[in-house]
Amino acid sequence: MDMMSKGSVDASQQKVGTKSSCENHENCMRMIQAILDGEATEQEINHFRENMDICMPCINEYHLVKCIKESLCNKLERKTCPESLINSIKLKLDLL
Amino acid sequence: MSVVMSKIVKGESTDDQRYIIFNREFLPHIDSMYNFAYRLTMDEDDAHDLVQDTYLKAFRFIASFEEGTNAKAWLFRILKNSFINDYRKRSKEPAKVDYQEIETTYNSEDGGEVQHTVDLRAHTVQDMIGDEVANALNSLPVDFRTVIIICDIEGFTYEEMAKILDIPIGTVRSRLHRARNLLKEKLKNYASSMGYDT
Repeated sequence: MDMMSKGSVDASQQKVGTKSSCENHENCMRMIQAILDGEATEQEINHFRENMDICMPCINEYHLVKCIKESLCNKLERKTCPESLINSIKLKLDLL
Repeated sequence: MSVVMSKIVKGESTDDQRYIIFNREFLPHIDSMYNFAYRLTMDEDDAHDLVQDTYLKAFRFIASFEEGTNAKAWLFRILKNSFINDYRKRSKEPAKVDYQEIETTYNSEDGGEVQHTVDLRAHTVQDMIGDEVANALNSLPVDFRTVIIICDIEGFTYEEMAKILDIPIGTVRSRLHRARNLLKEKLKNYASSMGYDT
């Protein structure tokens, strides 16, 4: 998310409007990944917070990656280890 | 080092002490291990053998495990190495392990980053059911599938992933980034073919 905004500046000097393209998108995607993985630095987190309302491509990327992570975590069937396998392992341990 | 472990290292341990550690530290992770093995092999019989081999190795080399450290990461590393050494080479479905595709993908990193954005909407992914997401994940080359599994499904940190995979943290980041881009493409292609609004 580039610090330059296409949006206008109102009388209170607040940034308004959103960017429809991101000149630094590849680096931003890496930063978004780190943020969603809980691995971002404080600087990255602050930068993201300051610009998350401005850059549409990055906002969309954030929501997409977040959604994919949640789907992987919540929708995929989690296999449970069969009891027979656990018993087989325990039996074989006795033979070691 | 705990009293139990120190006795194991000194060879003074009884089997009971090894079983205590095995049951307390290793067995609680068996469901995650089985799930990981199944996602790697995509075959229940292979997953069965892989998990069994892993736990037997873990027991055999229990003295090298430092009690109180991350047992799950230690076990995942053993399983990953076993998969690479024993199972990937004799995969029942070698077509699913496309080494040429992996090599081509990795070699492209030498020329710098691949700049592209996948046009996929978050709500499209939200509308997908589990099987559809699973199909997209399973279609990834195994090394990309692995990083997504251990990060997004198993919740390991980058540092833990680096130890499990025996790669630098920087490589973990870049491989995750590439894996997710590829997964997005797979999801988009799958969504388009199934008639989702992309």
